[in-house]
Amino acid sequence: MIDFSLSDEQKQIRSLARQFAREVIAPQAARFDREESFPEEITARAAELGLLNVGIPGSAGGLGLSMIDEVVIGEELAWGCMGIYSILMASELGVTPILIGGNAEQHERFLGRLSRGGGLAAFALSEPDNGSDAAAMKTRADFDGDDVVLNGTKMWITNGGIADLTVVFATYAPEERHRGVVAVVVEKGAAGLSHQKIYGKLGQRAAHTAELVFDGVRVPRANVLGEPGDGFRIAMRTLDRTRIPVAAGSVGVARRALDEATSYAGERHAFGQPIFDFQAIQFKLADMKIGIETARLQTWYAAWLVDSGLPHTEASAIAKTYASDIAFDAANEALHVHGGYGYVDEYPVAKLLRDVKLNQIYEGTNEIQRVVIARGLRNR
Amino acid sequence: MILIVAEHSNGKLRKSALELAQAGRELARELDVEPVGLILGSGVQECASELARYLPRVRVVDDPALADIRADTWTTAITELAKDLPARVVFLSASRTGLSVGPRVAVRLGAPLLEDVTSLEVDGDSLAATRLAYLARVTERVRAGSLPAVVSVKPNVYALPAASETGSVEAAEISFGERDLRVTVGEKRKPAGGSVALEEASVVVSGGRGLGGAEGFATLVEPLAGLLGAGIAATRAVVDAGWRPYAEQVGQTGKTVAPELYLALGVSGAVQHLSGMNRSKVVVAINKDGDAPIFKAADYGIVGDVHKIVPELTEALREGKG
Amino acid sequence: MKIVAILKQVPDAEARLRDGADGVDLGGVTFVIDGMDEYGVEEALRLREGGADGEIVALALGPRRYEEAIRTALAMGVDRAIHVETDENLDPISQARVLASVIDGEGADLVFVGGKQADWDSSALGPAVAEALGWPHSDWTTRVEVRGGTLSVTHDADEGTEDLELPLPAVVTTQQGLNEPRYPTLPNIMKAKRKELRKSSLADAGGAEPFTRLLGQSLELRERRNVILTGDPSEAARELVRRLRDEAKVLAK
Repeated sequence: MIDFSLSDEQKQIRSLARQFAREVIAPQAARFDREESFPEEITARAAELGLLNVGIPGSAGGLGLSMIDEVVIGEELAWGCMGIYSILMASELGVTPILIGGNAEQHERFLGRLSRGGGLAAFALSEPDNGSDAAAMKTRADFDGDDVVLNGTKMWITNGGIADLTVVFATYAPEERHRGVVAVVVEKGAAGLSHQKIYGKLGQRAAHTAELVFDGVRVPRANVLGEPGDGFRIAMRTLDRTRIPVAAGSVGVARRALDEATSYAGERHAFGQPIFDFQAIQFKLADMKIGIETARLQTWYAAWLVDSGLPHTEASAIAKTYASDIAFDAANEALHVHGGYGYVDEYPVAKLLRDVKLNQIYEGTNEIQRVVIARGLRNR
Repeated sequence: MILIVAEHSNGKLRKSALELAQAGRELARELDVEPVGLILGSGVQECASELARYLPRVRVVDDPALADIRADTWTTAITELAKDLPARVVFLSASRTGLSVGPRVAVRLGAPLLEDVTSLEVDGDSLAATRLAYLARVTERVRAGSLPAVVSVKPNVYALPAASETGSVEAAEISFGERDLRVTVGEKRKPAGGSVALEEASVVVSGGRGLGGAEGFATLVEPLAGLLGAGIAATRAVVDAGWRPYAEQVGQTGKTVAPELYLALGVSGAVQHLSGMNRSKVVVAINKDGDAPIFKAADYGIVGDVHKIVPELTEALREGKG
Repeated sequence: MKIVAILKQVPDAEARLRDGADGVDLGGVTFVIDGMDEYGVEEALRLREGGADGEIVALALGPRRYEEAIRTALAMGVDRAIHVETDENLDPISQARVLASVIDGEGADLVFVGGKQADWDSSALGPAVAEALGWPHSDWTTRVEVRGGTLSVTHDADEGTEDLELPLPAVVTTQQGLNEPRYPTLPNIMKAKRKELRKSSLADAGGAEPFTRLLGQSLELRERRNVILTGDPSEAARELVRRLRDEAKVLAK
């Protein structure tokens, strides 16, 4: 059974997200990008409308939306601004390990709080000296009676320091590599937790990215997700899922690039005709369209696997890699269609390119994704 | 007979009323019936005499109950006179008043309504009209199923008639019931700014966000509009920003205008705005962004700073130099 | 107090229209709830939030696809909806009769409807519904207050704005400036699924005969000269005046 149609309700959700992107996010995106400031009003508004932390289940006071719902929303929001979408996406990334590894009490305590209060979550895995090689992490977790004590530094953490809850991955037995990792929930304002906002990013400048420093941060053992040693597995299972919204966001950026390029090509004249009439331009636009449609299909497929409880590691790796690559190309070509105007910030296309570069890097670089995909081939 | 409901303001016929007389005369000739003018109001004998210069016969209901324009009293008066004549066609202007009263008259007469039409012709035993749809992006032809029919005519479409008649003026009495008088009109506020009714103005000067603020209207738009006797219009962005009152907004959610000349100053030309002005005969755009969509909808464009070009334009017009 | 909000579903303002065999081709066009009608839904919700007891019912007359617009209204907070489903292309006068008969059956006290419909560019529906019900109406309304059995409004007239007082029941046509319609929130979208959407037919409402017939449609294409005048501001301005006078002939010599 194959069915690509959205339910009436999903269409409603999509039109809400589309309207929000068009009327609230897009008009302000350039300002937050220029100022490198956090769009607090927009995220608060998103929370009011129910667009934040949509994956929290009904049992914890959330909406319990499916992954398909989430990618439908993600594509629309990223059309407005990938950087602003990353804030919401990163919160979902922080929620997911609690969903996967947390017990009922933790669901209620952490997720219930988020769904009632509208706060953000964060996910802290990367470190200054390691990203893709997550098992080489240096942040220490030491068990001390009923507490866990954290020491170390996490890097590139979206919502880092401003999130209500941060899921931190740390090692209590470095020699055990991935088997020695624990996932633990740290609440905002914990003693010994500090953060440094990272300025000067190329793109996604509305998203707050920070270095998180843990200096003897003490949290109760009741905040450990699953058992000590489950941490790495929880992190990987989380990323298998949350790469799919990255793919959805990429499709949104690519769609915006095509919209901008198409409208510019229709307006801009050269040699007595709109530049749309030149095949050289048409081929670029057609290639963007091909990329968008195929990337969306793969994204929806990966989301459908998640919702169906089927294995999705490979499908989500393909979706994330492919969608972010076609989106980068689409933004690049859209910039080119704009000629010199594409190279200045008065038009939104330069920002699309700066923003979407990150989609090829974060939540597992596209190289790591290709390794994952190739690993599946070798085992066959 | 054809009943032509002529609107007036401050003791004078409105321009749209004269256009309506012209439309009525043309159709009356085709149908070979007599056009009859109708004036509703209080103390409106002079308006009736004025209308009699354009139509052979004018009926006037001069009643204190008509001092305020109310849909209920107008509907009753028009319907009763239409039945009395009897009228085969009732003509109204597609003004706010005409658009409000026309549908009520149609329902009460059990007659079809041809609304906001831009042309009209006899089609067999009935009428066919042209009108706009889909935010003025589509022209459609509609046929009334039968006569009598109620027709509202878009302002600025028909030419002004020659004052060639010495028609008769007859008083008519309507006895209004309690139901006709159920709505009370309270305070009225005239719009600030443009003194010319926007929908009827033959020249409209319109300003967009490119003017930079309310003072841009005061220093650029108002002097130019004053010189040309033009109506002042604004885009939604300008109205949303509070620079101008909503009454001046042109576009999907504002007014629709179709003047001889539409001057768009610092207007980018979003589709919602274009839908309110793309019937204008000649469009001029002045904007610093040469790629703004307004230039595609314009006959003449100048790419540049409105603050530099508009004063020059005002000056050139004042001097009458070319 | 029972409030009815009449809804239409229309092409998105940004939608690209194409000429088709039988008039405008709406295939592939995105449809949305008419923005003018959203003001009415919002106002009804605000009246209730302001203390007016009672039910808010959305009412739509149109093809099956209208359901999406109705769901939007339900998600905004309307209690239930009635959809008179038909594919017939009825003019506003015949629509008004059908809608009036449903409204009459509902025993409503106040009806909101958009001031101008974005598909037919028509502002007839509100006044026509009011007449069919024998009620007063206020058109182009920018302020609404209920004071007991009286409705106090501000609306746009031909020469500025005026205040009106109308006895209830009444019809109010809405427009921009009345309020800022809310977004349907995600939780409310989910709840809307469980709200009643009653289907009804033209026959249930006593049938409808169209008063007018559509003969044809074509895209309104207006050829523009698209002349860009260059030179310094003074030269360009003088050239413009010359062209307006001699070429376009819209300025007196």
